[in-house]
Amino acid sequence: MIGLLRKALAFVKRDFAIESGYQAAFVMGLMESLMLLVILHFVGQLVQPSASNSLNRSGLHYFPFALVGVAFARYFDLMLRTFSESIRSVQVTGCLEAMLCSRTGCVTIVMFSSLYSLISGALQLLLILCCGVLFFGADLRSINVPATLLVLLVSISIFVAFGVLSASTIVWLKKGDPITWVLGSLGSILGGAYFPVDIMPVWMQKLSLLIPVTYSLAALRQTVLKGASLAAVAKPVITLAAVAAVLLPASAVIFAATVRKGRKEGTLAQY
Amino acid sequence: MITASSTCAPVASNRSQIEQPLIVMEDVTMRFPIPKRYREWVLSPLRPRRFTTALSHVSFEVQAGDRIAVMGPNGAGKTTLLKLMGGLLLPSEGQVLVKGHSTLEQSTRARKSVGFVFNEERSFFWRLTGAQNLKFFGALDNLHGRELRERVEYLLELVGLKDHGDKVVSAYSTGMKQRLAVARVLIAEPDLLILDEPTRALDPIACDEIAELISARIHLHSRKTLLIATHRSEDAALLCNKVMVVEGGKIRSSKSMEDLRSDGLTVLDHYRELMAHRRTS
Repeated sequence: MIGLLRKALAFVKRDFAIESGYQAAFVMGLMESLMLLVILHFVGQLVQPSASNSLNRSGLHYFPFALVGVAFARYFDLMLRTFSESIRSVQVTGCLEAMLCSRTGCVTIVMFSSLYSLISGALQLLLILCCGVLFFGADLRSINVPATLLVLLVSISIFVAFGVLSASTIVWLKKGDPITWVLGSLGSILGGAYFPVDIMPVWMQKLSLLIPVTYSLAALRQTVLKGASLAAVAKPVITLAAVAAVLLPASAVIFAATVRKGRKEGTLAQY
Repeated sequence: MITASSTCAPVASNRSQIEQPLIVMEDVTMRFPIPKRYREWVLSPLRPRRFTTALSHVSFEVQAGDRIAVMGPNGAGKTTLLKLMGGLLLPSEGQVLVKGHSTLEQSTRARKSVGFVFNEERSFFWRLTGAQNLKFFGALDNLHGRELRERVEYLLELVGLKDHGDKVVSAYSTGMKQRLAVARVLIAEPDLLILDEPTRALDPIACDEIAELISARIHLHSRKTLLIATHRSEDAALLCNKVMVVEGGKIRSSKSMEDLRSDGLTVLDHYRELMAHRRTS
């Protein structure tokens, strides 16, 4: 276990050393998020809570609703993309084979290659929420921190699993990642990040129930904006945990199998 | 054709007893799929993929302490052969055993004994320094703390990069990157070093420096088993005690330097002799 933590630290140190040379990218990312908050703020002034039953019932305004939805949805989206991007990056730079020659397994390599992105993404998430509170008056005082963290942890497990699956498709297909495309684009429309799910037609609402981000965002809004207890969000949390329990080990097995296939066919370093 | 499945016999004078071979390749065939083109997908979507055979029914053994030069024309299968031994490729048929561990079944264990120097100078993180790269790859090989720092310092000195450890790899010359690659492979102290054309793309002086690094420092220090793919017969003669010639996915010859000398042949003569048919055909 300590050995794994040391390796995790080595990956984080490596990526921090590399990313610290790209300060502009970090600042631009932050600026982009702030711009989005400005847009959501003004859209929020147009949208009345009566526009949606769920907003009306919960007494929420659009801006805090969208703030939580967009901040967390962007984080989940990062998780979907970061695994495949990190694998693609080491393939292109020629480092993948060198890493696979080491005494570290391929699943560990793909998991830890994305650790820094997940940490920096979490920091960005916090910054977005803080800016929403400080500059746009969002009220997050009633947040239930332990419940929020638990929902986040379970959600992260699922998106990490999908991320590893999408990395498998990159090892296999090289370019073009259907998993990120499907989950990313469908999630942004059906997941309820920008607008409540209940304003969509019934068939789209039913479709949204097939996407994990819908459950995650619903539970996170409850715990962050309404201070809901763990018991109150037990249903989505259990649903997400059950999916994660199956998906996480399955994704690791599939990734290892794809790497093995790459070794068999000599396509591992191709891109 | 001398043999399709040759065996590098151990040099009797160097060994008092027969040891377990470090690497055994048993009837190994390696086929690579040829990706289907759009035309094929449209005209014959159900036709199975075609394959190209890079190595065909190759068998041989590498004994501990061997220093084998792998020579052959471009596309002969040298890199495929080396990657199979390094566990980077898994054979389509047959098996590769490293210290008794199959690369198919016990891949991680098998890879523990092998270090691979790529002919690919891009295999580093260019925005990190040489020392940072070595520390990262050392951590992947389970080294940490003081042990890792000392090992990195020692290796940077060994490969002559002591004064360049703090420079980013993007500022390194090709020769320096090659030295760093040699340092990286030595971090985990593998029993077998595989060097895939270590002097490719280097100027003559840098070639000599790499050869000197391998012969005078690495070999004399550690007596490691070496497998070196090279096109330079002088490197083969200087660094190795055996020479293996690969052509068309088969091992055409495997001889000790002693045998070549007793036949009155240089490595280049031997190679030319084997390749003579290519000029006539």
